[in-house]
Amino acid sequence: MSDASTPDLAGLDESPLLDIAELRTTFHTPVGPLVAVDGVEWSLRRGARMGVVGESGSGKSVMSRSIMRLLPKSRVTSTGTVTFDGIDMMSLGRRDLLEMWGPQLAMVFQDPLGSLNPVMKIGKQVGEGLRVHRDLSARAARSAALDLLEEVGIPEPHRRIDEYPHQLSGGMRQRIVIAIALACSPRLLIADEPTTALDVTVQAQILDLLEAQRAERNMSLVLITHDLGIVAGRTDEIIVMYAGRIVERAPTSTLFSDMRMPYTEALFRSVPKVTDDSHARLEIIGGQPPQMTDLQPGCKFAPRCKYAQDLCFAEEPALIEVPRAAPARSSITDSGDDGEPDPAAGVHLYRCFYPVGTPEAAEAFERNIASGRVSEAGVVINPT
Amino acid sequence: MAGSGNAHMRPDALLSARDLVVEFPAAGGRTVNAVSGVSLDLLEGETLGLVGESGCGKSTTGRAILQLPRPASGTVQLAGQELTELDEDAIREVRPRLQMIYQDPISSLNPRRRVRDIVAEPLFIALENVSRRTAMAVWQERIGELLQNLLRRAAAPLRIVGRLASVAFVLWILSETVEERAAEPWLGWTQVPAAIIGFPTLALLLLAGAIALLLGLTWVLLAVMLPFGLMSRQFGEVSSAVGLAGVVVTTGASAFMLWRTWSSFGGWAKWLNFGGLILLTAVLAAWLVLSVAKPERAGASGVATTLSAMVVLQVFYVAGLDGGIKLAVLVASAVVDALLFRWVLRRYRVNRDAERERAEPRVREVLEYVGINPDDAMDRRPWEFSGGQAQRLSIARALVSVPQVIICDEPVSSLDVSVQAQILNLLEDLKNLMGLTMVFIAHDLAVVKNVSDRVAVMYLGKLCEVSEPDAMFDQPAHPYTELLLAAIPQPDPEAELGSGRIGGELPSPMEPPSGCRFRTRCPHAAQRCTDEEPEMREISPGRFVACHTPLVGETAPVRVEMASASRSGS
Repeated sequence: MSDASTPDLAGLDESPLLDIAELRTTFHTPVGPLVAVDGVEWSLRRGARMGVVGESGSGKSVMSRSIMRLLPKSRVTSTGTVTFDGIDMMSLGRRDLLEMWGPQLAMVFQDPLGSLNPVMKIGKQVGEGLRVHRDLSARAARSAALDLLEEVGIPEPHRRIDEYPHQLSGGMRQRIVIAIALACSPRLLIADEPTTALDVTVQAQILDLLEAQRAERNMSLVLITHDLGIVAGRTDEIIVMYAGRIVERAPTSTLFSDMRMPYTEALFRSVPKVTDDSHARLEIIGGQPPQMTDLQPGCKFAPRCKYAQDLCFAEEPALIEVPRAAPARSSITDSGDDGEPDPAAGVHLYRCFYPVGTPEAAEAFERNIASGRVSEAGVVINPT
Repeated sequence: MAGSGNAHMRPDALLSARDLVVEFPAAGGRTVNAVSGVSLDLLEGETLGLVGESGCGKSTTGRAILQLPRPASGTVQLAGQELTELDEDAIREVRPRLQMIYQDPISSLNPRRRVRDIVAEPLFIALENVSRRTAMAVWQERIGELLQNLLRRAAAPLRIVGRLASVAFVLWILSETVEERAAEPWLGWTQVPAAIIGFPTLALLLLAGAIALLLGLTWVLLAVMLPFGLMSRQFGEVSSAVGLAGVVVTTGASAFMLWRTWSSFGGWAKWLNFGGLILLTAVLAAWLVLSVAKPERAGASGVATTLSAMVVLQVFYVAGLDGGIKLAVLVASAVVDALLFRWVLRRYRVNRDAERERAEPRVREVLEYVGINPDDAMDRRPWEFSGGQAQRLSIARALVSVPQVIICDEPVSSLDVSVQAQILNLLEDLKNLMGLTMVFIAHDLAVVKNVSDRVAVMYLGKLCEVSEPDAMFDQPAHPYTELLLAAIPQPDPEAELGSGRIGGELPSPMEPPSGCRFRTRCPHAAQRCTDEEPEMREISPGRFVACHTPLVGETAPVRVEMASASRSGS
């Protein structure tokens, strides 16, 4: 998938904006090392949208912070390579990172109140990045901040600019956070659960805003969420994470039409959908996500997987590619307006010995029902 | 929308809340109109989904049904019983029939208690004769629990020391006194809470005292009825009388001891003891009076103060004595303290054990219902469980008293997607198994649709639409419902992203818009929506909407007075 070699200068625009290889992030906890992100590899084209889906503890947020180099050095180690536009992020010092954060990469977090300074006026917070990175005067920064507030849809920006974060609603605060992130026109925006704390109506507004700003600025976007619904219509490609690993990666439409990883399938089926009838039985995933400090050998999803066989518990499957016969590439290009799509963008990778939809998986499922490991409804009866 | 009216209410409902109004005071003398005339009802075995954005008053409505707090106006009838008129005790009696499940399972379960006690709690309230449960009894239980937790570890070694020491003490007194034969009279006093120490030890001490007296010694056995309040659980409502007796006995005993101390000691020891006794007497008396007069104020700190005062006093007293007597008093103190601790522990353990024993089969049963292995879980504490399992415990706690209605306030919002489905299916199973009647409050429309038999949409303290979910989600009648539905992200890349968007912000509930409360954000708002508040009306069988111009069904007929008003205006 990822081509980690340094980009040749002539084809700079066609090289991925972000390229991650063998990224491994380990927290050193009192109970031993916790590998929160384990060997993650992917890349992102300019202007493209990547969705990262996973439950809490799957490593999706730690991955984004590792890319941004936001994790404290003392108890966390990240290894591997993160190349942003040819720059090796892992080798950058604090001073270089300060140069990168804002004009190159920016981030929007889940909790807008937690990301804003409660005792600083909104205008100052929005304009701060501009003053630092663009050397704008206070006056120029203020007028730029006004424009930004207008762009992110804050009503009455002239009044709001002199208010404090607590005077705004949750949705408005998240708009402010987005305005701050957009201030220096970053080339990559990582939005980590940007709407989880918000109401569904506000969520739609914020996602629309992110999409509009992304298209306008030709920015790349990484949208991290636990909600498959959020990434379905708004990304070009999706990564599904489980226990710190990428378990499936595919162009968005392929992922939904042809999912291979049993976890993706289980996640998709367990979410109630408005289009289902009332009282429709949900297909549940038995058990709990694994204890990250005590990972068992084999596939990490195997204990909860209705297809899992002895092999799955013994050996961890590698991330392999679906044969290219499937016409999986149609929808990825609709937003890429510069150059050719990255050759890696269309791949469909999964990590399973018994991929969903194959005869092997059907047989494995039958065997599990016969052995009593899985109920007729497809739920692992005694997940450990 | 966002209208009033009771057209959707049914006569045969198990729970029916009419015209609920909840207001909260805000700064500057203003009022937050959290819930403004909401009417809801529930048939037996029905699940009512209550949806809306945050701040729409859905949780407040759920709590108003539980009388937490009581609504400013409106009525709540549970199986024909009016809840808004009941006093606190009567409400407490009703609560086992009306349970609640909260959003955050971990923080809604007491982290220091064991699963068996947490789950059994509503049962104790349900089984006991509630009218006898005064506020006094409630705080006694709290103190008992507190002490039990604090002293559990300290008590075991002390108890052994205490037993040995009490025997040694008695033997020592006997041997000493027999040898010395009425030497100098001495004061062997100790604070023995008479009712506390159990008959064998009490008998032993009395025997020792009697022998000592026979041998010509002055040996005073004081019965300080210190933790009398803790006993009143057994005495029920005579606790005030017992309290009074405690004050009398304590004061009398203290006066006697003051006199003895004054005449037995000399020098600084005299003053130390005198001061200490006065301190003890004052603290005891204050605590006793307080615990009778204002039981809710005399909490664990009262007990702690008294206990520490006693320890201080013992130190003073011992300092003033010499040789063997010093040792004797020390031992005696250890005995008494150990016995006191033991008593507190045992009193509560006895009660708890009995209650637990009665409750255990039921607790096991509900734990099994919710998919938790009782053998594994009974003696663990809530923080040892994951979020999903803790929510199962909350559900078990809500089920244990066989409630008539369960109010679930965002029960799956804080859970992971894969766990959320487990809980939703569990609620569905339990409903089929036990015929649960539920109010299901959530902001996630897909979740609400999945569990509900009837859905009520709320906006800014008013109801918009009440309907059976499939019909409502297929074809929303209220513009707000439609926009809410359009905002849901579909896990389908082909689905449209939703054309309609609600613009603007939720208006302040301190100054709600006139007429229809949704009009400021409604794409179809007309002049009529400003002038006239829409009434809830039936647009097709079983579908109710509070909107003048709903998306389904006919436009609301113009009310006569409004029609004439607008005619005269034009």
